[in-house]
Amino acid sequence: MKTRHYLLLGLSVLIGLVAILGFQFIGKNYQFQGSLIEPPIPAADFVLTDQHSDTFQLSDHQGEVVLIFFGYTYCPDVCPVTLSEFRQVKAQLGEKAERVQFVYITVDPDRDTVERVGEFIENFDSTFVGLTGDPSELEPVWKAYGVYAAKVDTGSEAGYLVDHTARVYAIDINGNLRLTYPFETGSDAIADDVLYLLGEEITSETPSS
Amino acid sequence: MIKNTVVRRVLFRIVLLTVISLAFVWGISEIAFQFQKTDKDRAPQEVELVIPIGTAERIEKGEENPSIPAEMSFVVGDTLVVTNEDVVDHVMGPLWIPPGTSASLKLEQANKFAYSCSFQTTQYFGVDVETPTTWKTRITAFSLSVPATVGFLFVYSLILWPINPESKKDKDSKEELGSESQVTG
Repeated sequence: MKTRHYLLLGLSVLIGLVAILGFQFIGKNYQFQGSLIEPPIPAADFVLTDQHSDTFQLSDHQGEVVLIFFGYTYCPDVCPVTLSEFRQVKAQLGEKAERVQFVYITVDPDRDTVERVGEFIENFDSTFVGLTGDPSELEPVWKAYGVYAAKVDTGSEAGYLVDHTARVYAIDINGNLRLTYPFETGSDAIADDVLYLLGEEITSETPSS
Repeated sequence: MIKNTVVRRVLFRIVLLTVISLAFVWGISEIAFQFQKTDKDRAPQEVELVIPIGTAERIEKGEENPSIPAEMSFVVGDTLVVTNEDVVDHVMGPLWIPPGTSASLKLEQANKFAYSCSFQTTQYFGVDVETPTTWKTRITAFSLSVPATVGFLFVYSLILWPINPESKKDKDSKEELGSESQVTG
């Protein structure tokens, strides 16, 4: 066997391996990185007040992907981290972020006034939507999204903390609740899933809650 | 000519030793695997946990649901799919499972977890994730062992059978020339 034959043999093996890996990659369906809700359910509609004192109704945003997070402005850790993650997701989406709503809903209506929510949201991105309302308006929303919220008295002058659900909810362009993400999922994973959801077709059916 | 012969012989030896190493490493790996394998040495898969109808009602009364285990074992890469057949929402750690739907959790880290949940009276669900020995692990080990074995055998073979830069044909013709010159001289 000549040297050239050995080189050709090596090259053929290499091409074969690349082809196998390539076919495996192409053949894979998109795998969501969040927790997929199957079958998708219509996201419960709600009307709350945003940081500009305007009303925000979820169903007005069909055709957009909506990411929702429940938190409170006095939160020392989870909420600022999650909203920073939202900011990274927005940056990663680039121009496509125009079709995405980043929504924060309070679990502490006693302290989270419209003004307070506005100041809090401004620290991250003024295009994000910060929602608040009366407990009577918020409680049905928390219930519909399985949100747990309980005040924890710390005994400090800073006031109480709120123990709350820290997941992010993704609603697709058809108004269906499709995915949830645990705390600190990572902006890459969320941005990838959102890009996929933005590429889906809008169906004519209107989800009802 | 001499250089070409040496390269050819080195390449031939490497190919031969690669084949021998492949067989040798495979044999050792197979024997070790057969001795050490457990039921958790499998490829990642989807594992379903069903929350039956009436679970929330039973939990409220302080009764366990016998069809739901207190703890489950998995291997890294498994996906736990929790299907909620109950009429109310359930939660399990980061998962929220509305009635009539399922939610999935990919288990990517080997560890023992105690997730808070709504379908146990203890309010905790144990998840034990272990690292399996899969084909991927074995192929990785194989791909690391084979080149090292080839290298070792190649050096060893050079001691036992050094590569002569001259071919047997060259040697013979040289010997012939030598004997002829002796005759004429």
